[in-house]
Amino acid sequence: MMIFPGYLRREVFRSSTLAIVFILCVGMSLVTLTAFSGFSKSVNVSLLNDARKLQAADIIIRSYERISESLELAVDQQVRTGAVMRTRYNEFYSVVRTNNETNSVLSLLKIVEKGYPFYGSVKLQSGLALHQVLRPGKAVVAQTLLDRLKLEPGDPIQVGHTTLTIQDVVLSEPDRPIQMFAFGPRVFISRTDQESLGLIQTGSRIRYVYLLKATNQNHTESIYQTLQEAADPDRERVDTFQTAQSQVKRFFDNFIFFLKLVGIFILTLSGVGIQSTLTAFLKAKQETIGIMKAVGATNRHVVLHYTLVVMLLGCMGMGIGIVSGVLLQYALAQLLSGFFPADMPFIIAWTGLVESVILGVMVVLIFCFVPLYRLTGLRPVMILRKDVSAKVKRWPIWLSYTIFVIFFFGLVLRHMQDFRFGVYFMGTLGSLIAITAIANYWLLRGLRGLSIRHLAVRQAIRSLFRKGAATQMIMVSLTTSLCVIFSIYLLEKNLDATFVKSFPKDSPNLFFLDIQPSQQDAFKAALSKELQLYPIIRARVTHINDRAIDRQAERAKKRDNLARVFNLTYRHHLLTDEVMQSGKTLFRDDWQDIQVSVLDMVVDMHPMEIGDTIQFNIQGVPLTARIASIRSRTQESLQPFFYFIFEEKTLKDAPQTLFAALRVEPGDVGALQTRIVKAFPNISVIDMSETIRVFAGMMQQLSRVVRAFTGLSISAGILILISAVFATRAERINESVYYKILGAGKSFVLKVFTFENLLMGICSGVLAVILSQLSAGAICRFVLDIGYRPFLSACILMVTGAVLLVNLVGLLSARSILEKKPISYLREQQEA
Amino acid sequence: MNILEARHLSKEYNLDQRRLTVLNDISLSIAAGEFVVISGTSGSGKTTLLTLLSGLDQPTSGNVLLDGNEITGASEDELAPLRNRMIGFVFQSFHLVPSMTAKENIMFPAEIMGGVDAESRALELLQRVGLADRAENMPSQLSGGEKQRVSLCRAMINYPKLLFADEPTGNLDSENGAMVLSQLVELKSEQGATLILVTHNPDIAQAADRVLQLRDGRLLQSQGNADRFDQHIDTSQSDGLQL
Repeated sequence: MMIFPGYLRREVFRSSTLAIVFILCVGMSLVTLTAFSGFSKSVNVSLLNDARKLQAADIIIRSYERISESLELAVDQQVRTGAVMRTRYNEFYSVVRTNNETNSVLSLLKIVEKGYPFYGSVKLQSGLALHQVLRPGKAVVAQTLLDRLKLEPGDPIQVGHTTLTIQDVVLSEPDRPIQMFAFGPRVFISRTDQESLGLIQTGSRIRYVYLLKATNQNHTESIYQTLQEAADPDRERVDTFQTAQSQVKRFFDNFIFFLKLVGIFILTLSGVGIQSTLTAFLKAKQETIGIMKAVGATNRHVVLHYTLVVMLLGCMGMGIGIVSGVLLQYALAQLLSGFFPADMPFIIAWTGLVESVILGVMVVLIFCFVPLYRLTGLRPVMILRKDVSAKVKRWPIWLSYTIFVIFFFGLVLRHMQDFRFGVYFMGTLGSLIAITAIANYWLLRGLRGLSIRHLAVRQAIRSLFRKGAATQMIMVSLTTSLCVIFSIYLLEKNLDATFVKSFPKDSPNLFFLDIQPSQQDAFKAALSKELQLYPIIRARVTHINDRAIDRQAERAKKRDNLARVFNLTYRHHLLTDEVMQSGKTLFRDDWQDIQVSVLDMVVDMHPMEIGDTIQFNIQGVPLTARIASIRSRTQESLQPFFYFIFEEKTLKDAPQTLFAALRVEPGDVGALQTRIVKAFPNISVIDMSETIRVFAGMMQQLSRVVRAFTGLSISAGILILISAVFATRAERINESVYYKILGAGKSFVLKVFTFENLLMGICSGVLAVILSQLSAGAICRFVLDIGYRPFLSACILMVTGAVLLVNLVGLLSARSILEKKPISYLREQQEA
Repeated sequence: MNILEARHLSKEYNLDQRRLTVLNDISLSIAAGEFVVISGTSGSGKTTLLTLLSGLDQPTSGNVLLDGNEITGASEDELAPLRNRMIGFVFQSFHLVPSMTAKENIMFPAEIMGGVDAESRALELLQRVGLADRAENMPSQLSGGEKQRVSLCRAMINYPKLLFADEPTGNLDSENGAMVLSQLVELKSEQGATLILVTHNPDIAQAADRVLQLRDGRLLQSQGNADRFDQHIDTSQSDGLQL
């Protein structure tokens, strides 16, 4: 079959505006997913390439309890034979005070041995190496500690029972990004000083880490296997640098997971844009196609040529999308730089780009199929009769929709890698679109039935229903994108209002951790306040109904999971914010077995019911308990809560610490913290209001990034609007010329178009606000268990912004129509 | 020998809830080489009849035989090669592809057929109608008369047996109209083609071998008026017809 390159070229360039909109839609469909996938791959590659640096070792052993004897022996054996070198560090929170005991701050201590880190380096302000600076009696601290305690290098600090001198300031460390969330600033201390601190006691929350460097890196895997066999799987984790999932990776996976949801949403909207633009593009070509068919062109010939046109434009769009995606990836890396290890290189992942090209081709083919297929139904007689419509079989169209749903679901699963989440996401998006479509349908129906006296408004309403207007599609796209953006904004505002701005007055703002049982009377006396102490016993869940927990699968979950360490407690009453969900009492008198009451959040992690058994590992001792009741919390608050509650008789002799929460006037926090820590150096005091403020700051930074990307979905809606204006260009010109011939001025035509855009913008905006209020309200009440404020003034601003944007874009797209002179139009009609 | 036959052709449309009969039981036959005019008032069904006879549209009932082959019910892809090789069209609104030059518009049907000499034949035709210097012009750069002459060249490029012309002079002034008609008839005669021309212009109708008169979708009469063409067409105004 003959291909006409000149014809193809001219077909592309003669429809320049629509071709540009089409290219932008294709580009838009790829830009975010390319950026996010590229960013994801780039970070993964970088994390893998630099994994040794990021983990600071070849093999990493972590535990929240002292390393077990068998594993200790196995490590010793490897060290003795010279197979590995070992360095250890312990990490925990403690309050650091000024030497005069006037000021204090909760800090994250890292007590390191000589040799740390094996790979990468700790960057210090002085430029010296850590081992040169961190000598006995010295400390290296983060700048924030100096700022908060108003100290300088060279000043002394009190840590536990000892005094250390600040020797240097840490700028970055290989295995932890600067902005990774922590309750307090970093303090490096030499292991030589560990004993003198006096902070490591029974039940203290200490992270014990062994870093091993293989003498021969080829033996890393076999050494890992040996150590893995010696480890207690319930309490110790052994990883190689390749399998260790760093905090960075976990944070990054969760964040990129959400961004990818936004990316898929934008791709869907852009797909609608691609389809509507191509429909408008081909509508403008109908006469040409009719002529081609009249002189003997077959359907195959026509479809092949326009498929080539589409692929040509699609390639341009893919190029723009991929280049913009890479730029966006760079911008994203800059915006989030503080959350990742320092000096993380910017890598363009070529496999990611190839994936983007494949995705682009699929997007173009899937979304262009229907408009291209409809070409086969165009009959040549339509060049003589304008009222002839295309006739095509319906099944290929339905087949293409089915392929789209499968493709979309595949895409969701590919990026989400969680079937349940994928189904939830599809269901939510599908429901949102369905609800929006139904609501818009009734809204438009209501508008159509209105009896309006104002001529321009009446004509504007009529215009919404002009042939090919695609009003419903534009409104659904705008409403869904605005709804997602508004919902995110409202959730952020409500979380901010609940936890940050209006910190509940009666909520405790100071948490005291690691109180030893022997200290409880003295501690109460020191506070001179009556307060409740909660016993805490650290344990892991090992089996449910005698079936072992699959730790790997649990850790892979995006939500809270059973693989982590839990804090058990014992008591016989409900807290004020707790209710029974199943069972009449916490424990049953008619059962002789060990009983446990679980929080409904545990049931969300793994299905279980009353009578089921859970096996725990309490610091090496197995304990099996039968579920006697399931509790629920009445509201999310800063009151302490426990997932598992036992009877006192079961756990009172287990190794434990105590926990207390207290409400203190903000001005008294510093003094009380300093006084308590001076008397009890092992007790950690967490200022929750300060912690939440820091956390909220981080969340706002991330939220801004998310909102900026979600805002891109508006662009997709705008492209659909532009394509719709072009799709109805002929009808709009027709109307405006008739208005002018009948004596209306340009201002009247402008008014009609303005009212038309206003109506679309207002309806979409208001509907989006209603839906986002409902969804954000439901999430706040039923998922987050917090109160809800509608923030109406912010919503009004958002709707106004959206309406103005829609109007501006609508009028700009239609400006050539406004300028059209009746006589030139009539001449054209005579010729056509 | 008949090149075209129509038997009991009817065409109906659904308009809102109403059924509209545009053509009602039309039967006719046209001999090879004949010049037939379909005439009638506006809305009588002339163009609809032309679309059915040429296979551009399908009748509601009845059938059409083109060179002895039944074309009723044929799919678009079956009709396309038939139209390409056997039929040439000239439309009132020219219907040139706006993104092709004059030469490319003419070459297009030949290229679809796979003709190797499409370009030389197109240039030859352009020269015949006096537009050799307009070969690379886009349709938007041509006058109405020039567009129609390009359209005429496109219709003739594959040596069609049948030429359908729908009000070919309707959008032209009298001078250009006469020129186009003259060239149309000359090319038709030269190639031995059959010309079926829709018009409501009685002057043109009188030039045809036969006039099919339509009224309200029915064929009133088939009237012969051979040898009167010269009285109505002033060939002296033609330019570029002579080889």
